[in-house]
Parts: sequence; structure tokens; C-alpha cells
Amino acid sequence: MVEMILCGRGGQGIVFLTRQLGEIITAKGLGVLSSETHGMAVRGGSINSHLRIGPFSSSLVRQGHADFLLSLDPGETRNNIHYLKPGGLIMENSPEPDETGIRRIDAARLARELGQVQLENVVLLGFASQLDGFPVSAEEIRTQLSKHPKEAVRQMNLRALQAGLEYAA
Amino acid sequence: MGTQDSDLRFLMGNEAIGRGLIEAGCSVAAAYPGTPSSEVLESLVRWKKELDHPIYVEWSVNEKIAFEVAYGASLAGVRSVAIMKMVGLNVASDPFLSAAYLGVRGGLVVVVADDPGPHSSQTEQDSRFFAWFGKVPVLDPGTPAEARDMAVRAFELSEKYQVPVLLRPCLRVCHARQNVALAPPQEPKNVGAFEKNWTRWAATPKFRFVLHGELNEKLANMRKDEPESRPALISKGNGNSRAVITSGSVSSHVRDVIASDERLGSVDVYKVGIPFPADAEALQEIVDSHDETLFVEETYPVLELQLSDRRKVRGRLAGHVPPQGELIPEIVEDLILSLVGEEPAQREAPKVKPRRPSLCAGCPHRPAFFMTRKIFEDAVYTGDIGCYTLGVNMGAVDTCLCMGASIGMAGGFSRISGPDGPAGVVATVGDSTFYHAGVPALINAVHTRAPFVMMIMDNNITAMTGGQPTPAHDYLADGAPGNAVNMEKLVRGCGVDFVEVVDPYDYEALDTVLRKAKSYTFEENKGVSVVITRRACVRAPGVEVSDKKFGIGEDCDLCMSCVRDLECPAIYYVKGEKRMDIDDDSCTGCGFCVHICPVEAIQAKA
Repeated sequence: MVEMILCGRGGQGIVFLTRQLGEIITAKGLGVLSSETHGMAVRGGSINSHLRIGPFSSSLVRQGHADFLLSLDPGETRNNIHYLKPGGLIMENSPEPDETGIRRIDAARLARELGQVQLENVVLLGFASQLDGFPVSAEEIRTQLSKHPKEAVRQMNLRALQAGLEYAA
Repeated sequence: MGTQDSDLRFLMGNEAIGRGLIEAGCSVAAAYPGTPSSEVLESLVRWKKELDHPIYVEWSVNEKIAFEVAYGASLAGVRSVAIMKMVGLNVASDPFLSAAYLGVRGGLVVVVADDPGPHSSQTEQDSRFFAWFGKVPVLDPGTPAEARDMAVRAFELSEKYQVPVLLRPCLRVCHARQNVALAPPQEPKNVGAFEKNWTRWAATPKFRFVLHGELNEKLANMRKDEPESRPALISKGNGNSRAVITSGSVSSHVRDVIASDERLGSVDVYKVGIPFPADAEALQEIVDSHDETLFVEETYPVLELQLSDRRKVRGRLAGHVPPQGELIPEIVEDLILSLVGEEPAQREAPKVKPRRPSLCAGCPHRPAFFMTRKIFEDAVYTGDIGCYTLGVNMGAVDTCLCMGASIGMAGGFSRISGPDGPAGVVATVGDSTFYHAGVPALINAVHTRAPFVMMIMDNNITAMTGGQPTPAHDYLADGAPGNAVNMEKLVRGCGVDFVEVVDPYDYEALDTVLRKAKSYTFEENKGVSVVITRRACVRAPGVEVSDKKFGIGEDCDLCMSCVRDLECPAIYYVKGEKRMDIDDDSCTGCGFCVHICPVEAIQAKA
């Protein structure tokens, strides 16, 4: 059983990441539930998704129960840190150095170097996949992203994944 | 979504509902978008294409019409559905209540999404309670997978009892995703051609009395015969003294909380699939046979109210369960801990400072609001429902009531003159909202010579809910051809003589048109004037944004007018350096900020 919070600002692609993870886990034959933010908040407001892998019925992570917090915005990390369980791991899009319990990658910069800051979500996902206990592997993410019907989008996503993997290596 | 008929997919609750509707052989679907319901019809469009299914789908002009379209199709003999959010049911309440008496022919399902919280709505009303008021049976799903099953079941019940059936998913079902097993779709159902019978389908009050009796009988039979009306034991406790009775999406939190904590293993948990008409005697038996029974349901005490003796009940009526707000798992956990005599869980109070939503960088509503404040200083700005409610951030929206109310309320505000009256009234409404509920209000304003300026902020889409087409488009929800309704002709047809269309990015033109409207309405006293600010939503598919970039020069004196009055999210203060900057990643190059800087410090980059 793994529980996770994904957070960021509206427009950063949190829902996209949540869906990719859910589809990968569905393909693995595990039970999975997620909950996402829609409506007015997606106009640049605070956004989070909950993801729960295992025999659950509810789509919401309780405070103090998340194994991972995947954050596209350091300001939003603070808004969601209460979900993290003791010893849980934060993976954050930030130029700052790592700290105990927080692994960081400047995903925005790497994405901008690829020509599109919007790819920062996939860069962060690639990075996260290399950390201990993360529920999906780089290979599974690659297979999932390769399903995108548009060639251009597929190529950009795969390059963003690669950038995240290389940074972790 | 892939291509197989029977497999396991990771679906949003709303997509699962759409799938259930298609699998049940639904032929006609009509909806008006509204969070958290919008993705149901959108998914029907995708399922229709994927399965090459003949279902007819439309975004109706409003929820009342969506209901009536679905009802007409039901009388014609086919399975049909109307889809809306809970405040949409308020709009559709007139035909909804009447249809319960008349009954249906082909199965008629009304999907109404509730929003406990509320997260994206005006109220926390409980559509199960509305169903009770309307004497309409209601199904209350707990997960996306159950929502799919219940969509199929709702059609069976509707045809068996010849009543409309309401399916009430909460936001945590609508916007949850789960791996859901799919079944192959059935052929579209048809109960046979419509047969004229005015005592039934055009019943006068005398016959309505008879129909009311028939409806009461249907509900009594359902209460007695349908298993989902009875509480089902979903978790048997190892004690006999405490029980929880639950329904809907919050039942999932109950299930997981109980499973996660062995201290709660003594509790019997029951779930009700049809909270109205519920088997009240079976509910009462559970209450009577336990020392205490906790009711966990959202958002009103619908099950609790159906009991005759509530002395051993912990619930909303006795004040145990919070009377407002979403029942999140943490609250559910503490309620159940308290039921078994344990202390509430220790949690650190979250220090949450949520970022407020704003109009997007480059949103055409922003310049329209900016100029409204400039030209109609000190006026009252009646606002409406949509992205442009976010004009509150700019001080350009003073009221927000319900769909179309900006126009009706402007009529009322404009009646009060003198020193205590407003210095002018400006109503702002979006294109989709204008079509939805604004047209009768505008006719009222014209007829009564109401003196206000109305601005239709026409971004050519229903933006807030994800970009659905409006009646101004020449295509329908699934791309089938439709007739475009011309907004200017419509406004003129309502009797408005002053109608001007302007591009809100054009600073000079916008300034000129608003001054003309001001003069027409407030100086020449000629009545309502209508300004249509027209430019496509920057987020709409296929809309190209400019690649021009802008910078802030040394002349900037940090007056903050770009942040306070224009409120563009691309412009920000650089802490530590005491200067302003523009974020190239979010700027869409509209260039409107160049005009509004008092010291002309904002300039295009070379």
C-alpha cells in the first residue's frame, strides 16, 4: 500500500501526472484510487491530487498518512506537508539543495532548456521514479508516455522523462 | 481510453457514470456544464466515438431545458439522461417535480453532482433531500465503480416503476479515479412509440391528484421491494453495541477508516444505496438493536430524518456531526473514535495558505474589468457565475448570486437613486451564462427601462468548466452540425438599441465604447446599453497567443497598480531586489499592461 499527495499550482499538470500514475498502476493489476481538483481553483490556485494504491475505497489520503509528497511548487509543499507521515519523503521542484527528507530537482529549469516549462511535471516524475520505494519504475513511465497519440507530445514527454532520470543519476 | 469493450480502466467517476449510461442503452443525453458534473457528458462524447454508439448528446442552453429534452425523449420511448450540478437542479426543479407525478416511459435518469465543501459551488445543498422533496427515488454511489453500476441500475428502476430516478454522486466520486471494470454496451432500449393520452401526459389538477396517489404507491413498493432501500451490512463488527449507518461517497471514508484501526473493529457498518425512499423500519431496527448508532451522510440528515425514534442516534440532528462542510476522512475518523469512546486522533493543525485563483495571464476579461473600473468609477458592479467571478480580485465584481443574476439584480440596484443609491450600475456576464439565464432578465430590463450598462464578456466558450461550446457555435457537443445563434441579433431582438462589440485587447476602442455606453445610459437616460467584449479564451484549443514579451524598465516607481488594479499573474515583485518583473513563462503577450502603467515603465522587449 502506497499513499501519495501531488501538489502544485493550477496549470502545472498535476492532474496529468496523477492520471499517468493511475494508468500505470491499473496496468500492473493493483487497486488504485485518486482524487483531483477541478473548477475555479485550476485558474492558478492551489491544486493537489491524492493517490492511493492498495485495497482502498476512499480516494482521500488522511493527514499523516502519505508516503510521498510530489510537489511542483515549494509554496504548495508547505500547504500539503501535513499529509506526510513521519519519515515520508518530499520530492520537490526547486533549485535549492537537498535536505533530510526532501529531494529536489530544478525541474522548471530543465524543462525550459527543453523549450517548454510545461514539461516540468514529467521531469519531476522521472526524477521521483529513481528514488527508493517509489511505486512505478522509469520503464513503466516510458511505456505509458509512449501511448500518447500525438507524436510531438510523445517525443517531448519522453525527453522530459530522460532529463529527470539523468539528473537523478 | 482504449478500444476494448470488457476490460479494466482507470476512470474518473464522471467517466464511469458516462460508461454506465452507454452500457445501459441510453439514447439521448442532455446537460449543462457545471463543476463537478461536466465530465459526464464529455465522456459520453468519447464513449460514443470509441464504441461507434448512436447516442444523441447535447449541451443544452440550461438545466431546465436539458431535463425537458431528456423527458421528451423518455415519453417518446427511449432511455434518456439529464446531467447537471446541484444548483442546476434548482433551475430544472419545475419540470423535475412535475415529471415525478406524470411518470416516464423510457427510463429517465437525472445525474446531479453535489459539492460538499463547497469546493466550486454556491451551496452545499443535498440533492438526496431535493429528491425526497420531489418524491423521486435517488441512488447514492460511494466510488466511481459503484457509480457506473448505479447508472445502469437507475435505468432499470426508472422503467420498472415508471418514475424519473436521480443518481447523486458527490464531488469525491465525480473527481475520483479508480480502476473500473467495463461491460459491453447493450443495444439502445425502446419501450414503443408514444401514445397520446392527455389525462396522463397533459394532466389537469383533477388527474394530478390521481397521479400523486400512484406516485406514493410506487414509492411504497420500492421501499418494500428494492434491496438498496435497506441498509446492507458492509462490515460486521466483533461487538454488538455500536453501529454506523452511511451512504454515498462518505461511506468510502467510513470503510477505510474502520479497516485501518483495530480499535474500531467492534463496530457494525451498514450502507444504504437508495437513501430515498429508504426502508425506515429496517433503519429503526438497527438503531433499536444497538446501544448507539452513528449516521454519516452528506450533506443533510436524509436517513436520520426517516427514523421515528432518534434517542440512540448520533448524527447531525443532535449535533454530533458538523452541520456544514465536507466530511473528510479525518472528521469521519474522529466521529467513529468518539462512537467507541476513544479520544480523537492527534494531528498537527495544518498551516495552509492556499493560493487564490486568478484570471489567467492574457485573459480577455482582465482588460474589460480594468476599463469598467476606470470608466464607471464608484458604480456598483453586479457579477455573475463563471471565470469572470474572479473579477472580485480586481474590485470589479461586487455581487455574485446565481446564473444570470447580474442582470436581474442590476435592475433592482438601478431603482434606488439619490444620495444612498449607487453611482451607476454595471452588470458583467459571460456568453454562456447570458444564453443560460440572461435573456429573460435582459428583456425585463428593456421593458422596464432599467438604467444600467451590461457587459457581455464573450470569450466564445464555457471556460470555467473546461471549454464546452455555447449556442454561438455551429456545432454540438460531439461535433455534429448545429445552428449558430448570433449574439448581437439576440440582444437586439430583446429590444436593446445600444449594442456595441469591441476587442478588449484594444485599449483605445474599449475606452471609447464604454464612454459611449455611459453617456447613453446615465446621461441621455435611454435605458440599458449592451457592450459585448469579444475575444477568445486564451486557453481555448487552437487559440494562438502572441510570442511578444514585455519588461519593466527603471522608471517603475513601485506604485503596484499593475498588481493591484490589473492583477496580472505574470507580473510580480522581486523580493530582495525591490523591483517588478514579468514572468515570461506565464505572459501571453497581450500587451495590455503597457497602457495601464502610470509612468510607462512597461515596454515590449526587442
